[in-house]
Amino acid sequence: MRADNLISRPWPPRIASAPPPPPGARSTGAGLPRALAIAAVILFWARLMPAQTAAYVGSDTCQACHEDIYKAFQKNPHVAVEKKNKRGWEGRGCESCHGPGSKHAESGDAAAIRNPAKLPVAEADEGCLSCHLHEPTHVGRIESGHARNQVSCVTCHSIHKSSEELVPRRRAAVNAKCAGCHTAVWASFQRPYKHRLPEGAMSCVDCHNPHGSPLPHSIRTVSANEPGCFKCHGDKRGPFVFEHAPVRLEGCAACHEPHGSANPRMLSRAEVRFVCLECHANTPTTAAASKTLGGVPPSFHDLLSPRFQNCTLCHVKVHGSNVDPELVR
Amino acid sequence: MRAWLAFLILCPLAAQETGPAPSDQAAPAAQPAATPVTPARETTISGFVDVGYQWRSDVGGSLDTYRTVVNLGSGPKLMGLDLSFDSAVRRWFDHINVRASNWGGDPYNTAHVDASRHDWYNFSFDYRNIAYFNFLPSYANPTIGQGIYLDQRSFDTHRRMSDFEIDLMPGKWLVPYLAYSRNSGFGRGITDFVSDSNEYPVADRPRDKTDNYRGGVRIELRKFHATLEQGGTKFKDDQDVFTSEENLGNRTTPFFGEQLELTNLAQTYGIRGDSIYSKVLLTADPFSWINVFGQFLYSRPNTDVHYSQFNAGQFVDLATLLLYTSEFDLVNAAAKQPHTSGTFGFELRPVKRLRVIESWMTDRLHDASFLTFNQQILTPAVAAQITDFNDRLVTNYSQEQLDVLFDVTSKITARGGYRYEWGDGLTRGGLISGLPTESGALRRQVGLAGLSYRAGQKLWFNIDFEGASGDQAYFRTSLQNYERARVRARYQALNSLVISANFSVLNNQNPNPAVNYDFLSHDASVSLAWNPKGGKRMTFVGEYTRSTLRSDINYIVPQTFQSAPSFYRDNAHEANAVMDLLVPGFGGYSPWLSLGGSLLVTSGSRPTEYYQPLIRLTTPTRKHLAWYGEWRWYGFGEPLYMYEAFRVHMLTVGLRCTP
Repeated sequence: MRADNLISRPWPPRIASAPPPPPGARSTGAGLPRALAIAAVILFWARLMPAQTAAYVGSDTCQACHEDIYKAFQKNPHVAVEKKNKRGWEGRGCESCHGPGSKHAESGDAAAIRNPAKLPVAEADEGCLSCHLHEPTHVGRIESGHARNQVSCVTCHSIHKSSEELVPRRRAAVNAKCAGCHTAVWASFQRPYKHRLPEGAMSCVDCHNPHGSPLPHSIRTVSANEPGCFKCHGDKRGPFVFEHAPVRLEGCAACHEPHGSANPRMLSRAEVRFVCLECHANTPTTAAASKTLGGVPPSFHDLLSPRFQNCTLCHVKVHGSNVDPELVR
Repeated sequence: MRAWLAFLILCPLAAQETGPAPSDQAAPAAQPAATPVTPARETTISGFVDVGYQWRSDVGGSLDTYRTVVNLGSGPKLMGLDLSFDSAVRRWFDHINVRASNWGGDPYNTAHVDASRHDWYNFSFDYRNIAYFNFLPSYANPTIGQGIYLDQRSFDTHRRMSDFEIDLMPGKWLVPYLAYSRNSGFGRGITDFVSDSNEYPVADRPRDKTDNYRGGVRIELRKFHATLEQGGTKFKDDQDVFTSEENLGNRTTPFFGEQLELTNLAQTYGIRGDSIYSKVLLTADPFSWINVFGQFLYSRPNTDVHYSQFNAGQFVDLATLLLYTSEFDLVNAAAKQPHTSGTFGFELRPVKRLRVIESWMTDRLHDASFLTFNQQILTPAVAAQITDFNDRLVTNYSQEQLDVLFDVTSKITARGGYRYEWGDGLTRGGLISGLPTESGALRRQVGLAGLSYRAGQKLWFNIDFEGASGDQAYFRTSLQNYERARVRARYQALNSLVISANFSVLNNQNPNPAVNYDFLSHDASVSLAWNPKGGKRMTFVGEYTRSTLRSDINYIVPQTFQSAPSFYRDNAHEANAVMDLLVPGFGGYSPWLSLGGSLLVTSGSRPTEYYQPLIRLTTPTRKHLAWYGEWRWYGFGEPLYMYEAFRVHMLTVGLRCTP
């Protein structure tokens, strides 16, 4: 890390992201915990705290050289930071993220100003979260694979550009954004049996919450804690009088490839029987014998006959039945 | 719904008309001449409208499979619409965006409206109508041995989904919100009526509807945030299964000299459900070195069932070997499923380069149901038999996870962690055990590791690994002893050239001799995006993915009681690419030619080939008008199911208007 970077970058960022208190700014309180916290942070970082020689110069100064970015920024919702004094950055919107810019303005040196795109991810994100942490979107952040794998906010959100590029809303834009990294997943949607993403009828965020979710693979939840699949497939929601246990315990992906498959109905195996028989295999299935959950009925039918090769031909309510324990009606 | 849709699409137009109200226009004239006037904001309309006509050539091969997979119709269409209105007056709204796509016979129509007024409200409406047609002989075809390619599990249905949501006072510390969603399905199909020793394909008319209402408040303060939401759902399912024609079913031989048959059937499902749920979300940063997160989610869905069935014909009751000709069944049942979930965690930053993330989660679902089954065999008359059933499904899952992230340098971050998952499940007993209930347990210890490298915006790669060892799992195919790894890399070789690559692998094994499950899947992909000279004359985007899947497991053949392995294989090559070229010297216009498409070639248990080449020419003709033509071909083939192959040409011509 370059020394002049440290000089120009206020540290810690959370403190730096708060601007110098403007006249008449409201007090944020000075309770004992806060005082202790501030004292601890000051003591801890005292030896690292460089003398801050850079000063705030205002966005007009930035505009002189970065006219294109400045203009594009006017269409970004973050322009509110620049135009309103709610957070104390009025007239200094650029420096709210980039830090004081006087040294950069004087020297023109790119290294003399804070560039979130080049910072360590945690540091860059901390700048964003200084305003956005306390929103419902970020409740699952620490459970998110994106956060754990160092995918920063600015990877998906373009701060300087239009509202649509800041937060893509159009389905095609969302899908393109996700497919940029998840190429193999996007390839699955080129398979014949798939959810209708390439056609623009759905987007990745219909099923996933990219900011995190309590469910695996950041699956979105609906109606509090139900898997997002049930938002559209409401007839599979239940509760059923006779449940098919894997639907509840393993989820839809126990039998289906949710992105796309070469198998009809996005099954994970070529035919229905192969899906069913991997569990209903006639082997001893009590917990003592195989340490798996019991209750898996055997398949005693003549599997050589086409009549019995499609289990759901008779077990029509395979997702759960309200009438029959064998799931036949 | 359509009326609502039309109203919402027309809303922005109506609002535009009311914009320059006389009083607003008069106001500036009343201003003193010396008063400084800020530049007037102009009303702007931007976006595009795509309209066109689509032709479909004769479909080669299976029209039914074509409809299953592609299902695009011919005729005039509104291909796409995306219009944004920014109001100068800002009376009722600042901004409205209206989007719609694929209207005019396509199997998926969508519409979306966003409207907002700064500090007043954000409103969104979303509508989707998606058709699902499914008629695949390979899926459920008991007559295939006779050369008859039917599908007794087929359907032609629509799902319609509408979502309304409004946030009041967005940007303030207190944000109330209200939302309503409706999801309905309807259509027709074929399903089976199952009786002892025979099953009969009959007409099916599924109809279901779910209404979801929710409202809440978001409290967003400097040090913490809380979201409190309360919601509820109403569900109904009125599926009808019926026939009035003689039906011999799938059994081709008499049963004890009697031909089993169905002559009349009326199955009526009257299922009603409701649910209430609560959601509490919390974030806080009491100190600068710690962030705290938590969620509490609770739902309590219930189902009430009233089912009736009348069937006439010739049937057998295998339990008593009674032959009978008509039956009337009544079922009354109820199910409840309280479901509680909670997460809590924090991110601790004790020193500059170190972060510690600790989280706990629990998920508890208890399903209990009761059913009364009243069976009356009418002819010959037998005393009514009333049977009661109880059923349970319980699952308690918990996990605790610790991650430690350390910034080795400003470009490298290493991660290590540990997760422990435990839980128990209980279901009704199986036929083998003879027990009323059986229980299972889950115990899994997972090691986590990762490494990220980021050199500015030029180069980025990430490794993510988790390996687990478990001695108990719920099902034979559940994750037990597994390793999962992902590697992702992105390299910006030039300003105009970005290359990215991905590799992932999952290896899962259950070594128990009764199971002997061995699963391995991997996929590797590479993509390239090239925009020379800023894409002024050419752009290219291409991707290639190679994936394989292997699944081996033991089972016992019912006829011989011998153990045998089951093998499943899937090896796939997938590619898709699009190249856009500016065609020079075309009568003064600057048309763009797009060439590309996608292909899929798989081998293994279900070899499949699927090609979708595409050629598109877009020519600007006037300042706000462009013409385009597109040819697309769909070719689908499966060597093991040749009767399901199809080929079709689609030709589209249209106009794009940009205001």
